[in-house]
Amino acid sequence: MNLPRYLVRRLFACLATFVGVSILIFGIARVIPGDPARIALGPTATDEQVREFRIQLGLDQPLPQQYAHYVSGLLHGDLGVSLYTNAPVARDLRAGFPATFELVLVATLFMVGIGIPLGVIAARHRDGAADNVIRLGALLGVVTPSFVWAVLLMLVFSDYLGWLPIDGRLSETVSPPPSVTGLYLVDSLLAGQPHVFLNALEHIILPATALSLASIGQTTRLTRANVAEAYASPYIEMARAYGISGRRIASRYALRPALIPTLTILGLDIAAKLGNAFLVETVFGWPGMAQYGVQAILHKDLNGIVGTVLVIAAFFLVINMIVDAAVTVLDPRIRLGAQGA
Amino acid sequence: MARKKWSSRTRLRFSLATLAAICLASLSWTTKAFAETTLTLDENAPGEIDPGKGAGRAVSAILFFNLYDPLLLPTSGGTSFAPGLAESWTQDGNSYTFKLRPGVKFHSGNPVTADDVVFSLNRLIALGQGNASLFRGWVKQVDVLDPATVRFTLTAPYAPFLATTLRLGILDRKEVMAHLQDGSFGEFKDYGQAWLNQHDAGSGAYRIISHNPQVEAVMGKNPDYYLPIPAAAPDRVIMKFALEAATELALMRRGELDIMSQWASPETKRAAARIPGVTMVSERGISEFFIKMNTRRPPLDDVFCRRALADSLDYNALIGQANVTPQAAGAEPARGPLLPGMLGYDGSVPPASRDMAKATAELAQCKYKAGDIPIDIAWIGEVPLEERFALLMQQNWGELGFKSNIVRMPAVSYYQLITKPETTPNVSQFFYTATVPDSDSFLYNIYSSHSAGSASAAEWLSDPEVDSLLDQGRSTLDQTERAAIYKKVFDRIRDLQPSIFGYQVVITYAKSDRVSVPALQDPAKNTRVMGMNLMFRAMEMK
Repeated sequence: MNLPRYLVRRLFACLATFVGVSILIFGIARVIPGDPARIALGPTATDEQVREFRIQLGLDQPLPQQYAHYVSGLLHGDLGVSLYTNAPVARDLRAGFPATFELVLVATLFMVGIGIPLGVIAARHRDGAADNVIRLGALLGVVTPSFVWAVLLMLVFSDYLGWLPIDGRLSETVSPPPSVTGLYLVDSLLAGQPHVFLNALEHIILPATALSLASIGQTTRLTRANVAEAYASPYIEMARAYGISGRRIASRYALRPALIPTLTILGLDIAAKLGNAFLVETVFGWPGMAQYGVQAILHKDLNGIVGTVLVIAAFFLVINMIVDAAVTVLDPRIRLGAQGA
Repeated sequence: MARKKWSSRTRLRFSLATLAAICLASLSWTTKAFAETTLTLDENAPGEIDPGKGAGRAVSAILFFNLYDPLLLPTSGGTSFAPGLAESWTQDGNSYTFKLRPGVKFHSGNPVTADDVVFSLNRLIALGQGNASLFRGWVKQVDVLDPATVRFTLTAPYAPFLATTLRLGILDRKEVMAHLQDGSFGEFKDYGQAWLNQHDAGSGAYRIISHNPQVEAVMGKNPDYYLPIPAAAPDRVIMKFALEAATELALMRRGELDIMSQWASPETKRAAARIPGVTMVSERGISEFFIKMNTRRPPLDDVFCRRALADSLDYNALIGQANVTPQAAGAEPARGPLLPGMLGYDGSVPPASRDMAKATAELAQCKYKAGDIPIDIAWIGEVPLEERFALLMQQNWGELGFKSNIVRMPAVSYYQLITKPETTPNVSQFFYTATVPDSDSFLYNIYSSHSAGSASAAEWLSDPEVDSLLDQGRSTLDQTERAAIYKKVFDRIRDLQPSIFGYQVVITYAKSDRVSVPALQDPAKNTRVMGMNLMFRAMEMK
């Protein structure tokens, strides 16, 4: 099967998954205990007020009718109004998604840029001092929750040393760059505003580090295991016998096959970060979507819950598509295997 | 006539003078820019700025009083009123006529007119959210008598009406109508809800510069405000939402947060109080902590069992848990279901205290034996302090022989359970804040049988005498007579003991010395109105 055909097939599978998720989350959001209208109206709301507000929200209609109404809005980009912020959910998500996405992207860069090289180094020096030190660091990263890292980093680098800021995406005195992508690091460069870029970079370092430390540990361990397995293969022995340098063997012959399982896990990890970033966002006052999603659940904000989950689901599916494509490029046997299936 | 040529010296002088002028102008601009003062504070999210929404939440009330103006302003103490947007008002039977102050303008530059008042009330009632319930059923009609005069006609005598107008923010009708989006309110489409979620249409001392309900509101001083604003009042205010405790403390230490949220835990406030240049300030008379007992479920459907629980509670321990520092109390003893300064409050009765002998005697008269029926003590998961209170109750009541289960529940579940007496927990905890500064706001919402089913009335009290007195309190316009009526309610509720009066909440704030907040520092300036003590125009930056 050629690559485009393979990807189209995957795209249809993704669409079916997305529809399934939308039905599931729509139903789940409505069976969570608690009346959203009563919660939104506050402690002194009368039964009559609650009843009228339920009608205003369309909650008096049968569930299939509510879903049909929701889907019709969704097709027009309308995700309803949030009971938590009282704003259109689409607007809330548009405001929060770029911040979380930027945070996840930078955390991913850290994860890949640090985790994979460390894994390769650990595998090359298996059971040596470097391997042991890296193992210790990686385990520490994996077992410590991200919010603990967040607080520790904040206390050390901001509170004690005073090197880095802790609140928001930019300093109060710096205006955001003209929005093109919504990612301040990118937009500031596009607008030719290096001072804004540096300010945004200062702000993102701590939250992105806190978010990525566990993943760096995981990536390191995974890469080490896969590269070590590759090193035990006969073709590496043969490469050694030919006198190819250790660095070349690591980067060219051992890493490529080792990357396939790592890449699959990385894909899932990146997508999961989008939803898991909320504790880090809370600690650093990061105006992202993850925090919004959690508050939506706590306030039983039906449209907020469904909208957030759908965005995360779509992100998962897109990342999976990209990973699938990358994996098939690295190992064409996978798509050829799909042809036979 | 031949033009006189400038000599090189003259040209040099002219150039130097121009340069000096430019430098001076730049210096003056720079000085002005640097002289701009910014106040930063934080509160719980979301920061709702639409005056038609967000009732009962401190953050919305603070934003409301800074962005919008009501018709009247409470005088210190909150039981009488001074002119606000209305320069005068008269009452004739069930009609209240307000004469608007001339020359007041909205942030848009549009003048404030009677049409705006009518529009604002109609919008509030049509949306049915926020403080709509304060006006629904009471306001029969609202008429424009002339561009500066508006008349409210009520369906019946309603004594708290003037206090209620504090929660009616006057919106700029033209501005709202210019920003309508699709909606279900006929010609009013969405009634400006989408736009007012991020912008303001008020006349308040501050205007919105930018707003994200989850992140922060940035506000600037309104130079055309109708009341004088001291020059030292902050030029810019940044209100951040949903900061974590560790972040609040770090920002306070770095001098980047001036007033910490009232919702910070006592531990966080204690830590903040130790930061050099930070002091604790407080406001009183707004809120009380109630332990609510479901009077429809055994064993607390028996008044003697309820009294036994009330008499056996260790109030000193309860208050001790809520206190912030020895210098800044977070709680003071309560004497009943009203707070000092409210009509009917009786400061001569002793505050609630632990008396095990009395508790045992009350229990002996209860038709149930302690321990026969276990009691569920609910605490709201989002309020960790309530867990400590629940543990204290379990221990204290265990000494009388009561068995109890501590039940943690999220607010969403609690709101659902309290809609029916059979599912309402035996005991639940509630911090009640008066919506308007009137005894009616406290007593009717909690103890009237008409309020049953709401979170504020988890007692499910149904007492004809209380109901009748509360109705009289609403319809009696003479304040002295009202005081006597509410005193009767005060005594009757103390006798029936549907709630345990935990303590008067002293709302504490950790505040940087860079800002002075007279309403929190001087009890005489405390308005006893939720949100009003944090009016930025009354604050001064150093």
